[in-house]
Amino acid sequence: MAAKLDRINAFLDGARRTRRTIVTPEGVSLEVEIATIGERLLAFTLDLFFWALGLLFVVALTAALAYSTRSPGIVLATFVLGAFFIRNFYFIHFELTMQGSTPGKRIVGIRVIDRDGGALEPGAVMARNLTREVETFLPLILALSLGGRGGGLWTTLAYLGWLLVVTSIPFWNAERRRAGDLLGGTLVIVAPKQRLLGELGVSQAKYSFTRAQLEAYGAFELQVLEEVLRRPPGFETNTILRDVSEKIAAKIAWSAPAPVNDPRAFLNDFYAAERAHLEREQLFGKYKADKSSAPTALT
Amino acid sequence: MSEVRTSAPRALVTLQSAEFRRGREAAWRDLERLIDAAEKKGVRTLAAEELQRLPSLYRTAVSSLSVARAIALDRNLILYLEGLALRAYFVVYGPRLGAWASVKGFILGGFPRAVRANLQAISLSFALILGGAVAGFVLARQSPEWIALLTPSDLAGGRGVESSAQDLRDSEIFAPYPGFVASFIGFSNYLFTHNVGVAILCFALGIAGGAPTFVLLLYQGLILGAFVELHYEKGLLWDFLGWISIHGVTEIGAFVLCGAAGLAIAETVLAPGQYSRLDNLARRGREAAGLVGGAMIMLFIAGMIEGGFRQLIPSTPGRFAFSAATAALWSAYFALVGREARDGRQA
Repeated sequence: MAAKLDRINAFLDGARRTRRTIVTPEGVSLEVEIATIGERLLAFTLDLFFWALGLLFVVALTAALAYSTRSPGIVLATFVLGAFFIRNFYFIHFELTMQGSTPGKRIVGIRVIDRDGGALEPGAVMARNLTREVETFLPLILALSLGGRGGGLWTTLAYLGWLLVVTSIPFWNAERRRAGDLLGGTLVIVAPKQRLLGELGVSQAKYSFTRAQLEAYGAFELQVLEEVLRRPPGFETNTILRDVSEKIAAKIAWSAPAPVNDPRAFLNDFYAAERAHLEREQLFGKYKADKSSAPTALT
Repeated sequence: MSEVRTSAPRALVTLQSAEFRRGREAAWRDLERLIDAAEKKGVRTLAAEELQRLPSLYRTAVSSLSVARAIALDRNLILYLEGLALRAYFVVYGPRLGAWASVKGFILGGFPRAVRANLQAISLSFALILGGAVAGFVLARQSPEWIALLTPSDLAGGRGVESSAQDLRDSEIFAPYPGFVASFIGFSNYLFTHNVGVAILCFALGIAGGAPTFVLLLYQGLILGAFVELHYEKGLLWDFLGWISIHGVTEIGAFVLCGAAGLAIAETVLAPGQYSRLDNLARRGREAAGLVGGAMIMLFIAGMIEGGFRQLIPSTPGRFAFSAATAALWSAYFALVGREARDGRQA
């Protein structure tokens, strides 16, 4: 059923996203959109930035400690422990308290969910984030010899190779899951943010149309028209409205009054009449997908 | 204009979907407001009366979505309801626990249950470390060169074949207590972060089929065995065992658990059984991550004992008594805590 909107979504939103269906306990299927690798990389970079800010705080703290205690061992220990805790518990803490989001994810507009649609359990959050250490942080630290033990060219290459293999996992599956998602049974999706806009199906009844005229179009064209009518007003919109109204007038053999004078009123009335017609037909089991297809029962 | 209206002019067009929207829009907006607040500041900030309203509003939105899909052709309306139902779904069925309550539930139930559920992998992991230790001891017995080879210099802390028994006794086993800050904050921290790094590695390398976890566990055992031999050679066996077991019970226990977690994951990759590999990985992965999370807590405690308490107990029998006590406590914890009572409730 939800496939009904697929074509129009692909047409209007450009690139088609991968979707996945989860079924609620009420038996209604809800579709989630998988976040792209780009979005996730952006969120991760933002999170790394915030992590670095936290680390800076630790550095400041240890500098103050160093000044007051004059003991390098304690300073080093505080720094190592602080960096470790911030790195490992930043993601776990936020994903638990911010409903599967971190500050970076929230800015980008994505979130973590359970793949089967259940509750996001603490165990799943821990699994997907502890894996991060082995996927990214450890090989990166070792390859850059930040740990202080450079192991020669081949060792570095081995770490980089591991990094390459593990970080490429999201490219090989349709749901863009990384190793941590596989372990935690999680999925990263786009957080829905569609707002409810005004009702367009209000006719001023200035124009009226015959049944034959309304049968010229189907649901696809109706929803493209909806998108046109929802455009913000402006010069460009006015041009589009005029073009569209002329096209429709030609298609349905409209004679007078010329819609050019007030294309918005004409299109509004046509939209309301067309939607009323198509919705009524749909109730009788005659769903017309677009102008060239025959009416069928909605599956 | 009259020539256009050849058929009888229709009255105002009535849209069933518009009527439908008019009747329910207030409820949707109400739900949207609650979800906005819950997403921004957490479910806990909602008032009790709002929380009570949430489930029925959610069911309204879900049923509205079903109806809208069947009768409406308004794309914005359907997309809005899909998003609203999805967001409400996550709030209504989402986790109600904060981070603190999750940790508490984990310590009082999740962790010991995960241990009990993975006894097989834990035995294997323990056998690997033990086998490694025996092999390390035997190798070091045959030739002292193995000790230098097996013990990484940063872990040995200057201890080697050439150290005399007196050196080992004074600077290591019965080294003077260096003061609270240096021991509990400095050394404990260092030990903790180092050990946790190794532990996480043991766990996550399980994805690679378990062979790296195998090797890592054996290697930890080899190091241990070589150290034991080093001290045995100097006639310090009992003192060394007391010195290492005081924290070793907790620390090696944590390593065993992490290794077991890695092996459990390796098992799902190699022999998935009746579920698909991915489902299995998700099922066992969480449990295994639970083992690792618990092991981290154990490593923290071990770091505290090793860095601080150990040098506060300067006698070998006292240390053995302490380690026996930790062993008993951990066993009791894993065996008894979080068991389901007969009536199905968790104890």
